[in-house]
Amino acid sequence: MAAINERANGFPAEAGSERYLRIEGVRKEFDGFVAVDDVSLDIRKGEIFALLGGSGSGKSTLLRCLAGFERPTKGKIVLDGEVMNDLPPYERPINMMFQSYALFPHMTVEQNIAFGLKQDGLAKDAIRRRVGEMLEMVQLEKLAKRKPHQLSGGQQQRVALARSLAKGPKLLLLDEPMGALDKKLRSRMQLELVNIIETSGVTCVMVTHDQEEAMTMATRIALIDQGWIQQVGTPDEIYEQPGNRFAAGFIGSVNLVEATIDEDEPDYVTLRTPAFDAPIHIGHGITGFEGQQVSFALRPEKLGIGKAEPEQPHNKAHGTIEDIAYFGSHSVYHVRLPSGIKLMANFTNQQRWASEGMTWGDQVWLWWGDNDGVVLTS
Amino acid sequence: MNARALKRFFPGGRWAVIAVPFLWLLLFFAIPFLIVLKISFSRLAIAMPPYTPIVEYVDKALTLRLNLGNYVALFTDSQYVVAYLSSIRIAAVSTLLCLLIGYPMAYFIARMKPSTRNIALMAVVLPSWISFLLRVYAWVGILDANGILNRALMGLGVIDAPLRILYTPLAAYIGIVYCYLPFMVLPLYANLVKLDLRLLEAAYDLGAKPWQAFLRITLPLSRAGIVAGCMLVMIPAVGEFVIPEMLGGPDTLMIGRVLWGEFFNNRDWPAASAVAIVMLLLLMVPILVFNRYQQKEMEGRLT
Repeated sequence: MAAINERANGFPAEAGSERYLRIEGVRKEFDGFVAVDDVSLDIRKGEIFALLGGSGSGKSTLLRCLAGFERPTKGKIVLDGEVMNDLPPYERPINMMFQSYALFPHMTVEQNIAFGLKQDGLAKDAIRRRVGEMLEMVQLEKLAKRKPHQLSGGQQQRVALARSLAKGPKLLLLDEPMGALDKKLRSRMQLELVNIIETSGVTCVMVTHDQEEAMTMATRIALIDQGWIQQVGTPDEIYEQPGNRFAAGFIGSVNLVEATIDEDEPDYVTLRTPAFDAPIHIGHGITGFEGQQVSFALRPEKLGIGKAEPEQPHNKAHGTIEDIAYFGSHSVYHVRLPSGIKLMANFTNQQRWASEGMTWGDQVWLWWGDNDGVVLTS
Repeated sequence: MNARALKRFFPGGRWAVIAVPFLWLLLFFAIPFLIVLKISFSRLAIAMPPYTPIVEYVDKALTLRLNLGNYVALFTDSQYVVAYLSSIRIAAVSTLLCLLIGYPMAYFIARMKPSTRNIALMAVVLPSWISFLLRVYAWVGILDANGILNRALMGLGVIDAPLRILYTPLAAYIGIVYCYLPFMVLPLYANLVKLDLRLLEAAYDLGAKPWQAFLRITLPLSRAGIVAGCMLVMIPAVGEFVIPEMLGGPDTLMIGRVLWGEFFNNRDWPAASAVAIVMLLLLMVPILVFNRYQQKEMEGRLT
């Protein structure tokens, strides 16, 4: 755990980069229940950083600590060199786009966007100009006089974004930004939102339970569970090199197999597992010791499937097709091994139709490359 | 004749449901109102009933005689004008007091935990279980020169001589505010409890201090509750008779008392009817304003 958290906190690796927002050992308890447990994170300027986790993982509480709605029980929040802990929300240079937006229903789009500017006591002209810029940025000039209930979900979201960016905050918080949108609109708005945020250059922390959303929008992701940061990394790092079993299981689907380290050499490792007859061969060294119990994680899309036995002496398994799930672009084959373990293998449908017509009950071979799987020690 | 045609001749259950209250209102509101309207255009007469008919058929001539004298008197006799203005003033001040007391009450009840909230609401409603008359009468015992309040204050040494509160306009205000407070608190509560607290968080987030968020978010969003509460207090308070009669002194002039006096003391039914009709018209003004406001709100929601 210690080794992973050190990497998760990102201190050694990110030494050269700007530490714009520092979350230092933040802990939040509610009546003895620990919602956020000693979380430390460094977020760079201009980054879109996602806190990804299930419900009750503590991600929202952490976001509320940043916004100032909750006071951390312990730890420090430093933004651009300034300690935020004792500032109430209305004095922080931080603005939030709320889940389901919390637009003021009695105000027009214009008035909603102008709210924060008025609060700052800006001159009327300056407010009008800034509101105009914001409306242009989110392309809602024509709807300026509408009330929120007269807008579609996507338009409401853009108003909310414009409102939270109007004051030019140092930090933008997004709470489940796509939560109130239907699935089709979601993927379009994700990219649109990212474009707007990148244009404005604001540093952004978002909270989401949707891994796809985090992967699409964020430059880096912190995977959070039970108040703990499980792993921090870019989307492809988290997907390709999950740091532990939780990370592997949370993002995408995965085949997890219990195994023991058999040979531990600097340039390769072999694992023994009761699940497969053949040994597992890893093409690089890992931090572990011979005889250590580990998990072996293998993404379904890394597996090959066919009727002929592969020539390689390791990294293969033999079984029966039990289920085929059709997903349009690809199919997932569920293959039962003699050991009782079930493996999932993805097959694009282009491959599937070209294949030898493997179907339910067929005996097949599965195989994978030396660097396709990940060894998890925790 | 098929079932459909039958249905047209014998309207269904929906009609029955609407017809019962409709008939009730027709019998006990619309018809009495028309009778009062008719009497207001007649003349006082020493007869049984004590007024002249307005429609007569004499010598093959049907004459309709509308006497406007009662209405003219209302505007020329300063007693009536003063009474109307005084009623409206007392009702308006009481409504304002109810709002000032009731708004914070409703606000804090709405912010309570659901379990304590019900107890607090109960406490607001519970006094209404006792007869209105008894509750007003109880205030006599409290405010009397020898009453609980004066004895308590004298016992504590705050005052030397009893305060004269009972039979002054102040006592009438106390009575009206006390009796009508629940009608202010309940609509306000119903409105405030629906307020989305995230809107306040959004306001704080955008730089509003709590009192600014209250003025710019909570208050405007509770406008419908404020209007409803004020109507519910103001309209019955204008015509209030029992409270000023029992608690207010002779100088607490309200139109309800004038009406009572005309009817029972002077036995001048036509004048009493005219007073009642004009009071009704006066009350129509705020009701129409309220309706227009509601309509505007509805339209705003649709377009």
